Amino acid sequence: MNIAWKEIKKSKIRFLILGSIVFLVSFLTLIISGLSNGLSQDNAALIKDLPDGQFYMNEHANETYNLSRIDESTQETLVNEQKDAAALSIQMGFVNDADDKQHSVAFVTSTDSNLFEKVEIGEIVLDQSIEEDGIKVGDAVTNNQFGGEFIVKGFVDQKKYSHAPVAYINMENYQEIYGVKEMQLVFVPGQDNAQAIDGLQSFSNKEFLSTIPSYSAEQMSLNMIIWFLVVISGMLFAIFFYMMNVQKIGLYGILRALGVKTSRLFGMMWYQMFFITAIALTLSVALSQGFTMIAPEGMPFILTLEITIQLSIIFLIIGFIGATLSGFQIRKVEPLHAIQQGEI
Amino acid sequence: MAIFMIDKVKKSFANGDVEEQVLKGINLSLDEGEITALVGPSGSGKSTLLTIAAGLQRASDGHVYFNGKNMTNMSQEQIRQIRASEFGFVFQSSHLVPFLTVEEQLMLMLTISDTKIKKQEQKVEVTKILKLVEMDHRRDSYPSSLSGGEKQRVAIARAIIHQPKMLFADEPTASLDSKRSKDVMKLIQDLTKRLNITTLMVTHDEEMLTYSDRVITMKDGLIV
Ligand SMILES: Nc1ncnc2c1ncn2[C@@H]1O[C@H](COP(=O)(O)OP(=O)(O)O)[C@@H](O)[C@H]1O
Ligand SMILES: [Mg+2]
Repeated sequence: MNIAWKEIKKSKIRFLILGSIVFLVSFLTLIISGLSNGLSQDNAALIKDLPDGQFYMNEHANETYNLSRIDESTQETLVNEQKDAAALSIQMGFVNDADDKQHSVAFVTSTDSNLFEKVEIGEIVLDQSIEEDGIKVGDAVTNNQFGGEFIVKGFVDQKKYSHAPVAYINMENYQEIYGVKEMQLVFVPGQDNAQAIDGLQSFSNKEFLSTIPSYSAEQMSLNMIIWFLVVISGMLFAIFFYMMNVQKIGLYGILRALGVKTSRLFGMMWYQMFFITAIALTLSVALSQGFTMIAPEGMPFILTLEITIQLSIIFLIIGFIGATLSGFQIRKVEPLHAIQQGEI
Repeated sequence: MAIFMIDKVKKSFANGDVEEQVLKGINLSLDEGEITALVGPSGSGKSTLLTIAAGLQRASDGHVYFNGKNMTNMSQEQIRQIRASEFGFVFQSSHLVPFLTVEEQLMLMLTISDTKIKKQEQKVEVTKILKLVEMDHRRDSYPSSLSGGEKQRVAIARAIIHQPKMLFADEPTASLDSKRSKDVMKLIQDLTKRLNITTLMVTHDEEMLTYSDRVITMKDGLIV
């Protein structure tokens, strides 16, 4: 006989409250995680979408790519070493459209590589998000540091950097706008281990991302929030199961007096915990996936199935730990106590 | 032949720095199928003796034999098994499980006790016992909707559904009025005789003694 289920059926309200709390906390965690992921993508899709590899920058650049200059001969040897390796530079800037309206962009230029857009002199390829601002293929855009005009050649999907749309331009144009010959970075895909090159410092993709101050600060805060939520929900689990168990001490005592095994009482608690958590998680996963669909266009929100499953498993584990910790008091229950204490 | 033997059992509790001796050496043997009543003033150690006999706490000294086996040397798990399958309990309050119906209370006890009664016959057995305690018509009710006497009858049914060898009862009629008390006592007498269950029962109600085969009086931790 499944007494765990019988109890849930008879004490619906109590379990409903517990379930709602698990639901709310897990839903909140999923939403924050979706936002965090979305922001991260919005902040660094340009880098995040690259295959694993190594970034090289000047060792005197203080781990700040903006300050890095890589001399041409070093660049030459590194880039020639591998087919898709590229030297590149990134600079925040603006383009003005025909109505002289200013759009913030991240200018990106690179040597020939399949990983970056190839752009002819006087042309520009923009991230698709700027299309919504009314810029079309064939339009001319200008930049105040640049003498000529850029003709919009096309749009690319999901290329953002520092929350701005990426604007690919030709290297010559880039050199003219920013007045530098050298590139800031070299990226070599597929390298697990960096080569030691005199005067250069290497970074894995992840390490490179963390050198971008705005990116690491933003991600750190969001991850903190997520982990706080996970820890808090674990504590909530423990506290709520604890309170429920305290109310049931008498019952546990009687059951033990009758000869119920302690392991069976734990089994009862785990069953209830898994049941409640599973339903609450199913709901919050469904709702957060629904939210993915209705999230407003401009809202960076990405909640992958992988992360959803990961978080769900974490919640189940946390719930299990919470319930188990609070269940240790069952082992201390003296059957005798319960009997002498009268009514349950 | 004695099925249950209490041999020089002592029990003391630490009361602050003082050791308080509650049982001072009790000898008692119970014959199979008999109802033994424990009487005596409040605080004389009746409940303590009963719970030690029932395997709910251990003696400080002395031995308890059930069916020739020394329970004093058994592990917690062995004692649990005996409690589950060989003992039945009735207490002052019924201690029913609040979220189970009358029928489910009995079914639960059958599960706990690892009964030899086959699955398909369990329902029949439950019906039989519920008829004996005249609670068959309330089999789908929850404890909260039962009167005190009804609850106690269910508790008695639960104590014997798994066909235990021993029944331990601590003032089973204390919460009932005189008429109900007599009914419950008659019921216990009737059932234990019919099923050959050995009963040890604490009571402070003189009237109840007519239903027992033997009366043991305790005073200050000793049998007098
Ligand atoms: N767990 C315990 N801890 C301390 N003292 C106890 C405990 N259980 C019983 N006592 C004491 O033992 C004495 C006998 O109690 P009890 O066996 O309940 O008496 P009775 O059932 O005859 O009224 C009482 O003085 C009581 O306070
Ligand atoms: Mg007593």
